[in-house]
Amino acid sequence: MLGRDVTRELFEGISHEGEVLFYVLVALATAIFLVGVGVRLSKYARGRRQDVIGSPVSFAQRAAKSTIDTALNRTVAKRDRYAGVFHAAIMWGFIVLFIGTAILTIESDIVRPLAPQFSFYWGAFYIVYSLILDLLGLAMLVGIAAMAIRRARRPRQLDYTRVDIAPATTDRGGFRTGDWLFLGWLAVLGVTGFVLEGTRILANDYPWFEVFSPVGWVIAGTFGAIGLSPESAEPIRYAMWWGHAVIALVFVAYFPFSKAIHTLADPVNLALRSPLAGRRLPVLQSAGPEPADGHIGIRDLSDLSWKALIDVDSCTKCGRCHVACPAVASGAPLSPRDLILDIRQESDAAWAILAPLSEHRSDHAYGGDGNGTAQADGPGRSDGERLLAGGLISADTLWSCTTCLACVEACPVGIEHVPTIVGMRRSLVDQGIVSPGLQTAFTSLAKQGNSFGQSGRARAKWTDDLPTPIVDARKQDVDWLWFVGDFASFDVRVQEATRLVARVFQSAGMDFGILYEGERSAGNDVRRAGEEGLYELLAEHNVGQLSRARFRRIVTTDPHTLNTLKFEYPDFGGDYEVWHYSQVLAALLESGDLVRRRAIDRRVTYHDPCYLARYSQVTAAPRDVLAAIGADLREMPRNGANTFCCGAGGGRIWQDDSALAERPSEQRIREAAALPGVTDFVTACPKDLTMYTAAVKATGHDEQLVVSDLIELVAAAVDLQFEVPPDDGQGSAEDAATAGVAPG
Amino acid sequence: MDYVVLLKQVPDLAEELEIDSAGTGLDREWMSYVASEWDEYALEEALQLREANGGTVTCLALGVATGDVDEVLATCLARGADRVVKVGSFDESPDSHAAAAAFAEALEPIPHDLILTGVQAIDDLDGQVGPLLAARRGMPHLSVVTHIAVSGDGRSVTAHQEYAGGVVGEFEVDLPAVLGVQSSREAPRYAPVSRVRQLLKTATIETVDVAGGGPRSGLVVESMSVPETGAAAEMIAGNAQAIAERIAELLAERGITGGAAR
Repeated sequence: MLGRDVTRELFEGISHEGEVLFYVLVALATAIFLVGVGVRLSKYARGRRQDVIGSPVSFAQRAAKSTIDTALNRTVAKRDRYAGVFHAAIMWGFIVLFIGTAILTIESDIVRPLAPQFSFYWGAFYIVYSLILDLLGLAMLVGIAAMAIRRARRPRQLDYTRVDIAPATTDRGGFRTGDWLFLGWLAVLGVTGFVLEGTRILANDYPWFEVFSPVGWVIAGTFGAIGLSPESAEPIRYAMWWGHAVIALVFVAYFPFSKAIHTLADPVNLALRSPLAGRRLPVLQSAGPEPADGHIGIRDLSDLSWKALIDVDSCTKCGRCHVACPAVASGAPLSPRDLILDIRQESDAAWAILAPLSEHRSDHAYGGDGNGTAQADGPGRSDGERLLAGGLISADTLWSCTTCLACVEACPVGIEHVPTIVGMRRSLVDQGIVSPGLQTAFTSLAKQGNSFGQSGRARAKWTDDLPTPIVDARKQDVDWLWFVGDFASFDVRVQEATRLVARVFQSAGMDFGILYEGERSAGNDVRRAGEEGLYELLAEHNVGQLSRARFRRIVTTDPHTLNTLKFEYPDFGGDYEVWHYSQVLAALLESGDLVRRRAIDRRVTYHDPCYLARYSQVTAAPRDVLAAIGADLREMPRNGANTFCCGAGGGRIWQDDSALAERPSEQRIREAAALPGVTDFVTACPKDLTMYTAAVKATGHDEQLVVSDLIELVAAAVDLQFEVPPDDGQGSAEDAATAGVAPG
Repeated sequence: MDYVVLLKQVPDLAEELEIDSAGTGLDREWMSYVASEWDEYALEEALQLREANGGTVTCLALGVATGDVDEVLATCLARGADRVVKVGSFDESPDSHAAAAAFAEALEPIPHDLILTGVQAIDDLDGQVGPLLAARRGMPHLSVVTHIAVSGDGRSVTAHQEYAGGVVGEFEVDLPAVLGVQSSREAPRYAPVSRVRQLLKTATIETVDVAGGGPRSGLVVESMSVPETGAAAEMIAGNAQAIAERIAELLAERGITGGAAR
């Protein structure tokens, strides 16, 4: 029978004065902790109002799911099992030890003084409690050791070298010190706890039930084996008691100012993350009351939303965004990690928040004397604040983003980089900081509705060579409204694929039509380049045209167009069911409306377009199509939602990319070329077709790989009759690939 | 220092131009309009000069029914002009004499030290508005200028004219004066569409009536036509693929690519 003697003394050997001192220290540490958390909360209160909650029911669902994700460490384990397992060990070890301490507090400070008859810290409870805490404490220490080994190996994602500033002007040693301090402090906390336990067991001469504190038991045995007697263990135990207590209380005080704050901020940030982050950008009016000087976008710190401010405090510098980012990979001056950390440090410095162990820059970018990147204070600026967009975060950095969403997808703590970047781009455009390429594209889009500088009336010229004309959806009811998009309409290489789409749809008996010259660019890239006024113009025009046509649903070949029609047009009065053509093709092949006449007996790889795989989460349909036409699909290492951007999104396609070390598209072609026996690089996005057609030539892989659109393989598989004018080529992959090869 | 910029709209060349049934002008049905490129240089110069020396920039455009003058003027405001004025009311773009007369009258109450306009426009290649205006107001005038700088005392400007053979002439012109701008030191700045749209709704575009009349140029367009293709030229037809092949063939025939490849 387990009696009341199966327990341990709580303040063993501590005098009354010692106990009082302990509680004074607890109060002090807790006060510092609360002040620190309060300072952080006041930082978020400075943020702009932004509705990230939405409907309470759906928020509750999202929050519940996020809480489960957090509990299971799902986002940490994604594509990194090692980190996931050992992070979970540390996290649950810490949580259980914290709960254990809280239980002790309830026993010693509430139950015993007020209702001693309900005392529970003895007997079976004590044994189970001891066992659980010992095992979880051990798990935490194992986790810490594993993570320390990982960190010591300096994997690429934990390399803090900046991509945009010369190493000589910046010292990020503070970051590394902070990381090791956090990890090391936890380790010391755990180790002192176990040594305390071991010496206590030894000093009490091995009470039998303490075998259920197995780690402490082994330590006691070890100390005994090396000759330590129960009497000589007592002073060590006494020192350890105070040592462990003081270390724990210092940790509590340091908590809100250290990396440890992520344990509080991140579950909240994960719960607050929006399923539409980046997919649906905020309309201008929702950004709260207009600033006095009428500026647009995120120009200053005070323009950041409260969610964006929690974002920057949530970052653990894990570097997953950094290694996923195509800008980093291609040598552009943007790292999503550094962008977030820069804003964190700038806001902490500007609002006098104590944030020890950060980056020191000799270019005066942070909090220093204010003459560094500062530009003239505009009207309506609050004192001491300096320009964020185009200042601390340079225009080149902001323009480097392809909005591929890899950072948001990779981030284990729910940081939404892309909306913040686009917000700052809006400010750049508002300040007139626009590169010549963008200016040309914007001007053309404003006047002609396309970025090709061609007359809007020429938009449907690609249909001229079609044997069967396409229905004008403005004049006739259709089932499917095909929103063609800019690149599919005007780019000569893509036009071949566009015509094939039309003919495959026709041969499948689909009832579809297009808007002809009534269509303008859907504006997805314009919006992501920060030209919100122009985007509004385009969206309003297209919604007007669409509202006059009668159709049931929309299909498009362009994932960018798909995104904005599906997720963003509802904010402009157009709520549609939108399909990607790969989904339509998969359905047509499934239903038998399209019949495979011959198998595509080729080994192919498929490149997931960012806006399809990440934004719209369509990854199965194009693979189903490839399977249905008999192609032998080999996956690249980065596929599905983990796809790698071609470098064209977010308005990058209109800007100069000659300064890049190696274009993302070229890196992607090398990735595909490394797959044994693969002859075809298949995409399902007009921009991809142009980007990779160029990249396969630039890298000299055009002998080995043929870049083709999904439709080109489908057209061949269904044996489309090529009765087009003979001069037109056949739009086949072979023709296109050999077109650029000069004789000799 | 008060700067005044004169602007006009011209047909947008991205659209295919067609000649009307009378054969004396452009078919306006499908035409779209953009601000004249040289006038945009003039505005950019004015804004740059204001940034360097202080002062105000006022933009004037004739109130022509074709095109969208309000948008041109709102764009000026979006780029940073202080004040915009729509001058008179015309059914179509008047000739240089009438335009200069209208501007001269409108300028009466508007403070002006330096008047800048594009040196010419693609739709008339006349280049006379500046000189005619200067004559009417009794001011000095200089055309085809670049590198405008205001003197220390603010009573004159210097400007460059670039001649053939890389020779540059520098002129000093007493103010007030009229300059015909050839190009600006930087490309014309971007006017964000959201600003333009907001300004179209909220900004005041002043209008002034002008009496009009006075002498006209007396020039009449007898007929307008697209230049005929000369017999010596070969027009390459077909799709991009065919055109590219034909060009490659021609280059090879003439030994242009062959030589370069080796």
